[in-house]
Amino acid sequence: MDQFLQALVSGLLLGGFYAVMALGLSVIWGVMGVINLAHGEFLMIGAYMAWGLFRFFGLDPFASLLLILPLMFLVGYLLQIILINRIVERPYLMALLVTFGVSIALANTFKILFTSDPRNVPVVYNGSMQLVGITFPIVKTIIFFVALLSMICLQIFLQRSRLGKSIRATAQNKNAARIVGVDINRVYAITAGLCIALTAAAGAMISPTQAIFPFMGPPFTLKAFTITALGGLGRIPGALLGGIILGITEILVSTYVQGIGTNLGIVTSFALLVLILVLRPQGLLGGLRPLDAEAE
Amino acid sequence: MIAKVRRLPRFFGAWVGLTLWLLLMLLLALYPYTGVSSLTLFVGSQVFVLVTLASNWNLIGGLTGYVDFGHAVFFGIGAYVMGILVTHLPLLISPEWSFWQALPISGVAAAVFALLIGLPTLRLKGPYFSIAMLGTFVVTREIVRVLRPLTGGGSGLSLPPILNRLGDYYLMLGVMGLVVAIIWWIHRSEFGQSLIAIREDEIGAEMRGINTTLHKIVAFMIAAFFTGIVGGFWAWQNTVIDPDVVFIEARTVEMVMMSMLGGLGTVWGPPLGAVIIYFLQDVVWGNLFGVHLLVLGVLLVLLALFLPEGILGALEDRSSTSIGRLLGRVTSRGRN
Amino acid sequence: MRQIILLFSLLLVASLVLTACPGPPAPVDAPDTAADSARTDADAEKIIYIGGAVSETGKYAREGQDTRQGYGVWLDWVNNEYGGIKIANHRYKVELVMYDDEGDPDTTARLVERLINEDRVDFLLGPYSSTLTQSASAIAEKYGKIMIEGNGAAETLFERGFQNLFAVLTPAGNYTQSALQMLAAKGAKTVVIAYEDTAFPTSVAEGAQRWAAEYGLELLGVETYPKDVADVSGIISKFKRLEADVFIGGGHFNDAVLFIRAAKELDFNPKAMVITVGPSNPKLVAEVGVDAEYIIGPTQWEASMNYADEYFGSASDYAARYREMWDESPTYQAAESTATALALHLAIEEANSLDTDAVREALRNLDVVTFYGPIDFDETGKNASKPMGAIQIQGGEILVVAPGNAAVADLLYPAPAWKDR
Repeated sequence: MDQFLQALVSGLLLGGFYAVMALGLSVIWGVMGVINLAHGEFLMIGAYMAWGLFRFFGLDPFASLLLILPLMFLVGYLLQIILINRIVERPYLMALLVTFGVSIALANTFKILFTSDPRNVPVVYNGSMQLVGITFPIVKTIIFFVALLSMICLQIFLQRSRLGKSIRATAQNKNAARIVGVDINRVYAITAGLCIALTAAAGAMISPTQAIFPFMGPPFTLKAFTITALGGLGRIPGALLGGIILGITEILVSTYVQGIGTNLGIVTSFALLVLILVLRPQGLLGGLRPLDAEAE
Repeated sequence: MIAKVRRLPRFFGAWVGLTLWLLLMLLLALYPYTGVSSLTLFVGSQVFVLVTLASNWNLIGGLTGYVDFGHAVFFGIGAYVMGILVTHLPLLISPEWSFWQALPISGVAAAVFALLIGLPTLRLKGPYFSIAMLGTFVVTREIVRVLRPLTGGGSGLSLPPILNRLGDYYLMLGVMGLVVAIIWWIHRSEFGQSLIAIREDEIGAEMRGINTTLHKIVAFMIAAFFTGIVGGFWAWQNTVIDPDVVFIEARTVEMVMMSMLGGLGTVWGPPLGAVIIYFLQDVVWGNLFGVHLLVLGVLLVLLALFLPEGILGALEDRSSTSIGRLLGRVTSRGRN
Repeated sequence: MRQIILLFSLLLVASLVLTACPGPPAPVDAPDTAADSARTDADAEKIIYIGGAVSETGKYAREGQDTRQGYGVWLDWVNNEYGGIKIANHRYKVELVMYDDEGDPDTTARLVERLINEDRVDFLLGPYSSTLTQSASAIAEKYGKIMIEGNGAAETLFERGFQNLFAVLTPAGNYTQSALQMLAAKGAKTVVIAYEDTAFPTSVAEGAQRWAAEYGLELLGVETYPKDVADVSGIISKFKRLEADVFIGGGHFNDAVLFIRAAKELDFNPKAMVITVGPSNPKLVAEVGVDAEYIIGPTQWEASMNYADEYFGSASDYAARYREMWDESPTYQAAESTATALALHLAIEEANSLDTDAVREALRNLDVVTFYGPIDFDETGKNASKPMGAIQIQGGEILVVAPGNAAVADLLYPAPAWKDR
C-alpha cells in the first residue's frame, strides 16, 4: 500500500511537470495548426540557460525563470515572424519538415557550442522530506507547484485579457477573427512567444533533476504529443489531466514491472499515444481537431 | 485550395525514362568487368541501398501523401528478422544459404508488419499518421530491446562475417533496379493514379469509387517489403545489429531528405536526391568538422521554404517555387 | 497489363543477358606491385603502414580524440625517440593512416575497406566503442588483417571466433571483479544491479552477477534502463526497499550523475555504491561535488598505478609525456590506445617480420608488463591477465584502492548515510 501511495505521489508530481512541459506544443497546435517538432529543443535551450546562469552567476534555476521567460518570448516571437508565419498556410508537411529541420539544427548547434557532455545544476536543497510515510523529493515538489502556478496564470490570461481572447478567437475561427479585426500574424507571433517561453521555463525548472545535453529534446516532444492527444488541443485543464495520467502510468509501470520496468515506462507513453490515435483519432477527450479539413 | 491538375506524361516520354534507366542498370552491371576495387563495389552497394530506401519512402510519403516519420521501423524489422533467422535457426547447409533464405522472409515480415500497423494508422489523416508512425518506431525499438532471448536485447546479435562485396553489389543493383522500375510502373498505372488521387483529395477519391484503404495498404506494404529487404541486407553486411544502430531516426530523416531534394512523388527525383546527398555527405560534410547535421537541418528548412517540390518538381513546373521562377526568368531572358 | 508484361520481359532479358555473360573478375585487390617494390627496396627508407578509423566527429568525438591522441603518443615516440620498429637489423619508421568514422558503422566499414584495399596498411588499430569495433573487426577478419584495439570491451566481440582481433583492455565482464572482491572481504553480503540495456553495460552486469556469486554475495535485484534515460528514481525507489549492501550501476557518465542524485533525493543508503563509468573521470567530482564522496568505480588505468615498462617508464612518466604532447591529462582511453599500439609494436619485433601469420603468433605468445599493466592475450584475443583497478572518491580525490599492488589508499566501507554526511 505504501508503495502504491508513493508511486501515486511520484506520478502526480511528475504529471504536473509534464503538463506545463506539453502546454507549449498543445497551444501552438491548437491556435495555428502547426505541430512543432522542435518543441523539445526549446526545453533543452531553457535547461542550458538555467545551467549557464547557475554555473557562471550562481543564479538559482527558479529565480532564473524571470530572465529566461522574457528572453525566450522574444526568441519565439522572432522565430514565428521570420520562419513559421511563412509556412502556416502551406500544407502541413512543410510545417513538419521546417520544425524538424529547426530541431536538428538547434540540437547540433548546442552540441557544437557545449559538446555533448551532460551538464548538471546541483542545487544545494536537493533532497527529500518525509510526510506521513511518503517521500517527497524537494525539487520535484517545488517544480510541481511552480508548474501549477504558471498554468493558473496562463489560464487567467487566456480567459480574461483582451489579447488572450484574440488568441482564443483565432484558434476557433481564423477567418472570422480576421474579419473582426484581429491581426492574425501578430496573434500568432505572441502565441509562439508565450509557448516557447513556457517550454523553456519548463526546461529550466527540470534542470536540477536531470542531466542536460543537446539531444535531450525529442523524448519530451513525443511525450508532449501523448499529453496533447490525451487532453486535447490548447486546453490547460486537459493538459494537466493528460500529464498526470502519463506521469502516474509511467511510475506505476516502472515500479511494478520487475527488471525492465524503466524501459517499459518509457514505452508506455508512446504506446498510449499510438493507441489513442488509433482508437479515438479525435483525442481522448475529443479535443483534437481534424486537421485535414484545413490542410491543403 | 484547388489541387493542381497535372497532365499525364505522354507514353513515349515515359518509356524513354525507363529505357535510360535499364541502360544505366546495364552499364552498372558491366562496370565491375572493368576491374574495380572492392571499396568501389562497397560504395556502390551503399548508394544503391540509399536509392532503394528513398524510392520506397517516396511511394508512401510522396505519391500517396502519407508522410511516414517512422519508416525506418521496416528497415529494423527486416534487419532483425535476418539476424534472428541466421543466428537462431541455422536454416540449411551453410550460413551463406541461410542469407538467401532469410532475405525474402525479412521483406515479407516487414510487409506483414506494415499490414498490421497500417490497418489502424492509415485511417489517420495528415500529421496524426506521421506521429503515430513515429510512436510505432520508438515503441518497436523498445520492444526489440526488451525481447532479450530472441533479439539479444541491448547487446544485439552477431551474424557470421561472410562478406562478398561483388555479390552485394549485384544484389543491391538488382533490388534498386527492380524497385525503381516498379515505382515507374506504379506511377503510370491506374493504381498509381488512384494513389495520387488519394493524396490530392482522399474523400473525393473515395466518392469516385476508389477503394482507398486497399490502395493505401498495398502501397504501404510494397514500400515496407523492399525496405525490409534492404534492412535484412544491411544486417548481413554490417554483421552486427543492435537496437541503437538499426532503429535510428536519422535513417528516416535521410529518406525524407532525399525524396524532398529530388522531388516528392516523382519517379526519378528520389534516386537523384539519394545520389546527391550521399556524395555531399562523403565529400563535403565529411570535411566540415561535426557540423554536417547542423547543415542537414538548415538544408531541410531551406528546402521546405524555397524548393518544396524538389529539383525535378522545380524543373517540371517552374512557376510553383521561388527557385523555379528564378530559373524560368533566367532562361526566358536568355531566349529573348 | 501489356506494359507490365513488357516491363518484366525486359527485365528478364536483361538478367538473362547478364547471367549468360562470364562472371566479372574478382575485385582488384591484388597488392600494388609498384608500391610494394618501393617498400622492399633495400636502400629506401623502410616504412610500416598502420591504419585506423577513429571518430573525430559524431557521438564518440570526445573519446575518439583521446584514442587518436593515445595512438599519437606512441607514434611520436616510436619514430622520433625509439628510432623505428626493429625488424631483422633494420629500423622501420611507422606511418599512421587515420580516418574519421563519424561514429557511424557504415562509414567505419567503408573506411576499413579503404585502409585494407586501397591504402594497403600492414596492420589495423581499433576504433572507439564496442559497436564500431564490431563492424570494423568483421571486415579485418574477412581480409585476414590483424586488428588490435583498446576501446571495445563488450564480451560479444570475443565470442565470434575471430582469429585476427586482439584487445589490450580488461574485458567488460571483469570490470567489477576487484571492487566486489574487496567489498566481500570487508563484509558486504547483498548486492543490487542496475544497468543500461546496451552491449557494454550488459557485459559488465553479467560479469558482476558472476563475480557476486563467486565471492558469496547474494543478488537481491537486477534492473535495466534504456539509453539516454532521464530519470532513474523508479529503480532507486525499488532498490531502497531491498536494503542491499552494495549497489552496482552504470552505463554512461550521465547515468552516474543520475544515480548519485536520485540516491540522495530518495535517501537510498547502500553501504557502497559501485558505478561502472564516471567515477574515474574527474568531471564527476566537478559535476556533483561532495555527493560523489565514497563512490567506487572500476578503472582500466590510472596515472597513479605503479606499473612500468622500459619504453614509456612508469604510468606517471607516461602521463607526464602525454601532458607535454597534448596539454591535458591522459584519460584511460588514451592510455589503453597507446598500450594497444605498443603491444603491436612488441609483437612485430618479436616476430621479426611483417608477415601477418608471424605477428599473430607473436601476439598470441606475448606476455609483458607495460606502463598500462600486464598484456597477455588468451585464445579469443582478450587480455585476460590484466586485473581491473578500482578507485574510490575520497576528499574529492580519485584514489586507487584495488588491486592491492597498485593501490594508494584504503577502501572506506561502509559509506555513511546521506543525512550523516
